[in-house]
Amino acid sequence: MKTELEVPLSSRLALYVAMAVTLIYSFFPVYWMLVTSVRDPKVLYNQVSLIPGPFSLESYETLLAATDYPTWFTNSVLVASVTVVITLIFSVLIAYAVTRLHLRGKTAIIGSMLLAYMFPPLLVAIPLYTIFAQIGLANTHFALILSHCTITLPLGVWLLWGFFKQLPIDVEQAAMVDGCSRLGAFFRVVLPLSLPGVTTVAIFSFLLSWTDYTFALVMIDSDDQKTLPVGLETMTGQYELRDGELMAGSTLIALPLLVLFIFLNRYFIHGLAAGAVKR
Amino acid sequence: MGGDRTIYGLFFFGLALTAVVIVYPAVYAIELSFQNAQSFISEPEWVGFDNYVRVLQDAEFWNALWRGIVFAGTAILLQIVLGIGFAMLLDAAIPFKRAFRGIAILPYLLPTLIVALTFRWMLNDPIGVITVAMQDLGFGTVDWFGSPTLAMGIVITISVWIWTPFVTVAILAGLQSVPESLYEAAKVDGASAWQRFWHVTIPQLGPVLTVVVLLRAIWMFNKFDIVWLMTGGGPLQATEHLPILAYRKAFQSYDVSTGATVSTISFLILAVAVLIYFRMFPLDTKD
Amino acid sequence: MAKSGKKFSKHAVTRQGDAPRKTLSRRSVVKAVGVAGGAAALGFPAPFVNAAQKEIRFLNGEPTVESVRAMKFAAAQYEKETGVKVQMDTVPVGKAFEKLQTGIKAGRPYDIGTLFFIGDVVLLASEGQLAPLNEIIEQYEWGPRILFPIDGNYYWYPYDYNLCWINYRRDLYDKHGLKEPANWTELMENMAALKGEGDDMTENGILHPISSSSATNYFSFGYMWAEGGQVFDDNWNVVLDQGDVKKSVISYLDYFNDLTDLMPTGIAQAEWGVGLRGFRSGQLSHAPGTGRAIDVIRTTDEEMAQKIGIFPFPSSDGKQVAVNHGYDGWVVLDTPQTEEAMKFMKWFSDEHLINFLHTSAVHYQPARMDIYEDPRWLAHPALEQYSHITSWQKRFLTDPDVVIASIDSAGPVADLRSAKVFRSYALPEMLQNKILKGMDSSEAVDVAANKIRDVVSGG
Repeated sequence: MKTELEVPLSSRLALYVAMAVTLIYSFFPVYWMLVTSVRDPKVLYNQVSLIPGPFSLESYETLLAATDYPTWFTNSVLVASVTVVITLIFSVLIAYAVTRLHLRGKTAIIGSMLLAYMFPPLLVAIPLYTIFAQIGLANTHFALILSHCTITLPLGVWLLWGFFKQLPIDVEQAAMVDGCSRLGAFFRVVLPLSLPGVTTVAIFSFLLSWTDYTFALVMIDSDDQKTLPVGLETMTGQYELRDGELMAGSTLIALPLLVLFIFLNRYFIHGLAAGAVKR
Repeated sequence: MGGDRTIYGLFFFGLALTAVVIVYPAVYAIELSFQNAQSFISEPEWVGFDNYVRVLQDAEFWNALWRGIVFAGTAILLQIVLGIGFAMLLDAAIPFKRAFRGIAILPYLLPTLIVALTFRWMLNDPIGVITVAMQDLGFGTVDWFGSPTLAMGIVITISVWIWTPFVTVAILAGLQSVPESLYEAAKVDGASAWQRFWHVTIPQLGPVLTVVVLLRAIWMFNKFDIVWLMTGGGPLQATEHLPILAYRKAFQSYDVSTGATVSTISFLILAVAVLIYFRMFPLDTKD
Repeated sequence: MAKSGKKFSKHAVTRQGDAPRKTLSRRSVVKAVGVAGGAAALGFPAPFVNAAQKEIRFLNGEPTVESVRAMKFAAAQYEKETGVKVQMDTVPVGKAFEKLQTGIKAGRPYDIGTLFFIGDVVLLASEGQLAPLNEIIEQYEWGPRILFPIDGNYYWYPYDYNLCWINYRRDLYDKHGLKEPANWTELMENMAALKGEGDDMTENGILHPISSSSATNYFSFGYMWAEGGQVFDDNWNVVLDQGDVKKSVISYLDYFNDLTDLMPTGIAQAEWGVGLRGFRSGQLSHAPGTGRAIDVIRTTDEEMAQKIGIFPFPSSDGKQVAVNHGYDGWVVLDTPQTEEAMKFMKWFSDEHLINFLHTSAVHYQPARMDIYEDPRWLAHPALEQYSHITSWQKRFLTDPDVVIASIDSAGPVADLRSAKVFRSYALPEMLQNKILKGMDSSEAVDVAANKIRDVVSGG
């Protein structure tokens, strides 16, 4: 790793400017969302000020008074977590099999997984719902999880494919010569080495599931089974002058993610660093 | 070799599951495009290629296709360039690295709906913070959604804002596996920073980059929600691309079949593009 | 009528058990199984649980916090009184029809649904998916232009009028000695008189959206209806570009174009709130809107709400006025639970309907005339406090010079054609052609009329 001392002042300055720009660019809309949500609704339409205040939790109170936020939150966590687990198991497997095993037409196989992204989600979701309804899975989280897997799995397979391909096959073969089975070699050598890729897939799958609106709208048809985006959109109704509540609702969807992300960030970064063994 | 059978078994189970949940809906959509259903509940009638002939003769379709290419093309290019830039920045020796990485990835954590609501609120005429800031800076009142070019600019900019972190994260992960020894060797050879980036970093990122570009391209070409929520395809259809056209037909014009037809054609175009892409950047070289 | 989609309904029949076992409530089963394993949390037990109790599935399209609360309360009461569970699914207005379709398609139709387009009702009725509500409807007296019978049957239960009028700043009118405008010129004069810098002045007059959106269809055509503009004649011919109607539409377009001088930017933004934020912030003296705006402002800023007055859209000569029709209603679907759903609707029609209407008291203007006399309804304090608004509302229904019209309800009877025109956005495009492209009014009308003909004939 380079140390800061090696870098001349001018490029360090440029670096800080780049950082500042990135910071404002990435953070300002979120900042504005937060500020709006805690501003007194009475003055929301009368003043535009970058400084927060006058402070009021009224938007949150109104929103939470009749919403099932805790239920929706639990549902979202459940759906997103299970989606991540299923995605990881199958995408690792499929990607590994495609990279290492001798299969004819494997490019065609995983190429066809991209089908899921090539049709409008709503057009995919409605027939999918029909299947689930006919096997008694309508309005279940399991159906929602499976449908989320249609968007997370192809992504997982494709990203991991890229990662697995980069791994030197000789390390793995060495392990197998040492008496490991392929499965053993996979768990002991391949998986640890591809941890950054796996972490990335886990994060992306969680986000795709957590932020999904279309599938949740179609698959779930009772208020108590809803996930956060659908639940809150429903409640705030996009009508007429509820910007404070809309921003409060948005914050309530985003905040758990931010907290989670800040908390998990060290593991994420750790996972990324683990891939740097070759340095 | 022991364990191979387990891997094969699970592999095919995974594939079968995927086939059911992905291929069936796609086949259903294609089937609809050969029928003349008003809605999902109508009794459909087989009409062969009638829908295709009608859609392909419609100027609306070609305009939408072109706008989609402009929208997706610009957005992808910016996402990739910015994404690589951010990833390099986040990989450099910067203070508060961990917190900073978190913030840079922030936009991707937000559901599209929320992003749309937030940006609409910021761009609102009398009281949107960006609109007011522009006024204070002396640019006058900008009619963000009144001009076709500006409206397209807005949906592209917001798309870049949301989805660049996807590229950043993937590239950042990819950067971790570039062996430091390659940089050292290049330095010994007297390569400049730019040359090191171009001749070491980029080729090493190759496989990741290939996949990222492919996924982003497919996603952006089919991106519906952000455009629909920001402009609804307007003004004067300036931001109406194929996904919006399909949605309008299927769900707003009581013409599910035409919607499915537009989607199927759009799918075919993408499929051909992807095949060409595979030809240009073979994914299997390392096997 | 074709009974399509019926082949899937079998599943619903077998799942809904015939013998309700009240001892085993859904909740306790979910709990028991939920403890047993994670599978329960994923929703697996649903098919078994449904057998235990009668359940009606209600698609609620009124997503505001207060309305959802009233609906939940009614559902809980009903379950307490009859043992029948009313499963609520609340979706945003724009998604209601998609959800209804999806449910039917999957063989899992809702029993009751909320709809906002009469075209959607027509489509569902023509596919044999709806049960007529004649028995309930005929018990009451209804306001004008709200029942939309289809072949002599009533397939929906309208609950409110949801009319669009013009909100204005009463306090500013008083301070400047202005009176409610009787025609186009007076309206523009009033806006101009209030436009300027300083206290008691506003930056602009009004904002009507022109984006290709439902908001435009709803907020921006009042003047045209007042002027005698029409989309169809009584035989479903497109008359927008014919004779006197065309003249009216042209003068409407010219007037709208003049009005844009009194509008801020942002008219091309595709959303509902766009016309109201500026009004709320005190930067606009007028805004097209409904009682909803007044109810929302009322709950956050009573003082501001009291400053608002309303009047209908005027015509150029003041002979007629108009409000844009909004109407909302419930439908009962043809399902194994239809009978139970009807029972619920009958039960709901009394006290709980009034509770529901009270959740946005000024906005939910009753469709049933008997409610206007009902002391329980009148008991809501807002109806008295805002009598300057509610008295207008009642007049909209009784005064023969008030036109109640909308794109989606255009034509002699309820029909899919008008709904298609609504969703083709041909009329918002007419405004865009005029305002953004500077097209000649006559040509803009022709373009719109031709597009409407295309839309109506095709598909």
